Amino acid sequence: MKLLKAFIFFTIILSACTPSGKNKLPILGQVADAQFEFLSQDSAVVTPQTFENKIYVTDFFFTTCPTICPTMKAQMLRVYEKFENNDNVILLSHTIDPQHDTVGLLRDYAGRLGINSDHWLMVTGDKKEIFDVAKKYMVSAMEDKDQPGGFVHSGAFVLIDKKKQIRGYYDGTKELETNELMDDIEVLLNEG
Amino acid sequence: MKDKKLIYFAPFVVMVVVALVLIFSTKSKNQGEAIYEARCANCHMENGKGLQSLIPPLANADYLNKYRGKLACIVKKGMEEKVIVNGVEYQQQMPANEEFTDTDIANVLNYVLTNWGNEEKPLSLQEVQEQLESCP
Ligand code: HEC
Repeated sequence: MKLLKAFIFFTIILSACTPSGKNKLPILGQVADAQFEFLSQDSAVVTPQTFENKIYVTDFFFTTCPTICPTMKAQMLRVYEKFENNDNVILLSHTIDPQHDTVGLLRDYAGRLGINSDHWLMVTGDKKEIFDVAKKYMVSAMEDKDQPGGFVHSGAFVLIDKKKQIRGYYDGTKELETNELMDDIEVLLNEG
Repeated sequence: MKDKKLIYFAPFVVMVVVALVLIFSTKSKNQGEAIYEARCANCHMENGKGLQSLIPPLANADYLNKYRGKLACIVKKGMEEKVIVNGVEYQQQMPANEEFTDTDIANVLNYVLTNWGNEEKPLSLQEVQEQLESCP
């Protein structure tokens, strides 16, 4: 009896010590067939090719958003600062208000955030194309005149691997979920 | 005999008094904080730090002292003009809060004025109302 108890005790301790399942991420979808052509804050053309063989994190926002965007950008900035020097990782923020958010405005916004377009692209383009690509990432970005700022959007960060597969969704307004995203990027980097 | 009975009740009386004091003091203390978290923290951040040069800080912001007389109108009517806070220029839109009562505005501003290292004198309700009467 005592032996059995000791055995159970040790298995519990052991399983608690091994990192739990976080060394493999699920495949939640894929975006390999997504076509788009956007312009970045530096007027550079951004297409699926831009992300060839890169791990990237994407989200949707607009510069005049009165609700969740500043929090999302504060969290994304943490991701940016952590992977700023890693050329395998790119961040991609789409405006969902392209009429207002021109290249010039995005340049100003990015400048005020203090970010470099090598590692964090802010893109604008044709509205329908942006909303179509949002559907591909399965993030809801829809026009809604009743919401503050005129848009609803999910606040999600989407993690895409080098094979253009979706590997994770995170609530970009939450510090803890953003921590998890940063851990998961490390997991993908180790996948090679 | 009577005295003894009173002694039995004393602990209850003390407990009720303590509970009431706690309820009232935490309630009035937290009202400004609750408004801040619900309506301001998403932009100015939890600790009033702001966000880079996009959103100005409220923590240790020289603006609070320099433009004390404008604060109520900023909260009520929003703001969209170049401002310089602690030497950095900002120009984004801060939304209006037309539905705030005068007390809401006083509470949230006083939370800002006395937290995160800020040691400004709180605004009285009367000061807030005077400011609101002459909003641009
Ligand atoms: C949508 C984002 C947003 C929200 C929400 C918001 N602010 Fe602001 N706030 C700003 C921006 C941006 C400025 C600078 C405005 C400008 O450039 O004209 C500002 C400026 C200010 C200023 C003057 C400058 C300074 O830093 O001292 C005060 C005071 C202020 N806000 C307080 C508040 C309070 C209190 C609330 C909540 C009731 C609030 N703000 C909610 C974005 C916001």
